[in-house]
Amino acid sequence: MEYGPDNSDTLQGALSMARMPDTAISPDVAEVAHIVRLVLAGDTSSFEQIITRYERRVMNIAIRILGCQDDAHDAAQEVFLRVFRYLHRLNLEKPIEPWLMRMTVNVCRDIGRKKRQHQSASMENTLTESMTTGRTDDPYTGLAEEQQRQMLWKALNCLSENERVAIVLRDVEGLSTSEVAAILESPEVTVRSRISRGRLKLKEIVDQMSKGPTKGDTL
Amino acid sequence: MSCTFSRELLALHVENDLSESDLRVVAKHLQECAECGEFHAQLSHRQSQLKLLRCESIPQSTFTRMRREVLSQIENSPQALGWSVRIERTVWLGFRRHSLVFTSLAIAAVSATLFAQMRQPALHDTTNSTKLAAVFAENGALIRPAGYREWVSIGSSTGSDVADPHIPAKPSSGFSRNVYIDRSAYREFSETGKFPEGAVLLLETSGAADKQPISLEASVKDIRFDGGWGFFDFTNADGTLKDKAQSLPVTSSCRTCHEERAKSDHVFTQFHPALKTAT
Repeated sequence: MEYGPDNSDTLQGALSMARMPDTAISPDVAEVAHIVRLVLAGDTSSFEQIITRYERRVMNIAIRILGCQDDAHDAAQEVFLRVFRYLHRLNLEKPIEPWLMRMTVNVCRDIGRKKRQHQSASMENTLTESMTTGRTDDPYTGLAEEQQRQMLWKALNCLSENERVAIVLRDVEGLSTSEVAAILESPEVTVRSRISRGRLKLKEIVDQMSKGPTKGDTL
Repeated sequence: MSCTFSRELLALHVENDLSESDLRVVAKHLQECAECGEFHAQLSHRQSQLKLLRCESIPQSTFTRMRREVLSQIENSPQALGWSVRIERTVWLGFRRHSLVFTSLAIAAVSATLFAQMRQPALHDTTNSTKLAAVFAENGALIRPAGYREWVSIGSSTGSDVADPHIPAKPSSGFSRNVYIDRSAYREFSETGKFPEGAVLLLETSGAADKQPISLEASVKDIRFDGGWGFFDFTNADGTLKDKAQSLPVTSSCRTCHEERAKSDHVFTQFHPALKTAT
């Protein structure tokens, strides 16, 4: 199973769950609450259902923030261990998604900081081929898309941590500004500013990588 | 670019991240400015490219490996949690199940703490304040101090210096006499050798058997009185005590005796061992 366009329903389902009003408890929330109660009662094997349910979401965000699949794997592992450790803090009447996303972002930030302390080299080399593999039947189109992806990954890694996280959550994950603000526990105006700066920088970096203005690019 | 229109607003406009008013401003400008229109189109194109990153693939084996590692670590959950998290979880879940009990306990604990904090300074004030020992009514009468028997006793008819004119040489009359000083004044006199303003000394005569007071006299250090001391007698003619007493006249025997014979500041410190050590 891969996380591609076919999974858009899953993504939208997850997003709509995060947007549920506080007062209404959706069937998904009730189901997660049931699993959480089992785990808290000592049935640790039920925790696998939580992992299976959210592993793609967590891993995708981690990969986009950290830019490296190995680091994303470590991050996802740490996220689920933290979720297990602090599962009792979860409000069972609300969706788990924002809490999980916040934890993912925090873990990624921790790992990113540690990595920067121990490694001054550019992250360009850490972009593995496996995470930048395009999927299209046309080899020419596929090559062009692959080049664009490579450039975008590199450009994303040139942004500051705050800008990158905001862009990943808003533009790649497709969350609303208010949802991003809730996850980052920052005011919406701050998040909007980071998104704006991030988009402009991203454009500038990709333009430079393309050796000139995008006038003659794929437009 | 020559146009000075805000690039930040254009960057937010591409994904509808603007307020209604800003949205109208940007839309109007884009209709008028070709340069910004082109910049906006480029930004929109980058945004569509950015969405391609949603289509990245992650091998299933990566998830399987991660899941296996997490589950192996939590198999021994009590050890994996650590004692601090286990305590937190117990309290947390206990609170959820018995929120009323926990809330009551918390309120009781907070109330007890506040009460203890409020009570402590109050006690401190009671023992330290010299002003509280001498309280005067509106007409200038001294109000009989309550609880003076808990003050410092500096002399009595049993074992006191026989030269004290207040205390008989032999307690054979069926009465006993005691001299008290308020604690704050005693403390200050012990430290400085001087009586503070507001210091109160009382002479009580009581039945030797039933210890009921039958007379009570007081001297108060107060600059409003002649010589800096006021003298008062709470004793009624029938042997009962009154609640308030006016200052005795300047010519009273009390004042005259104290002025003439007291060793220090109108007080017979020479007859009271507890005060002698301080002077």
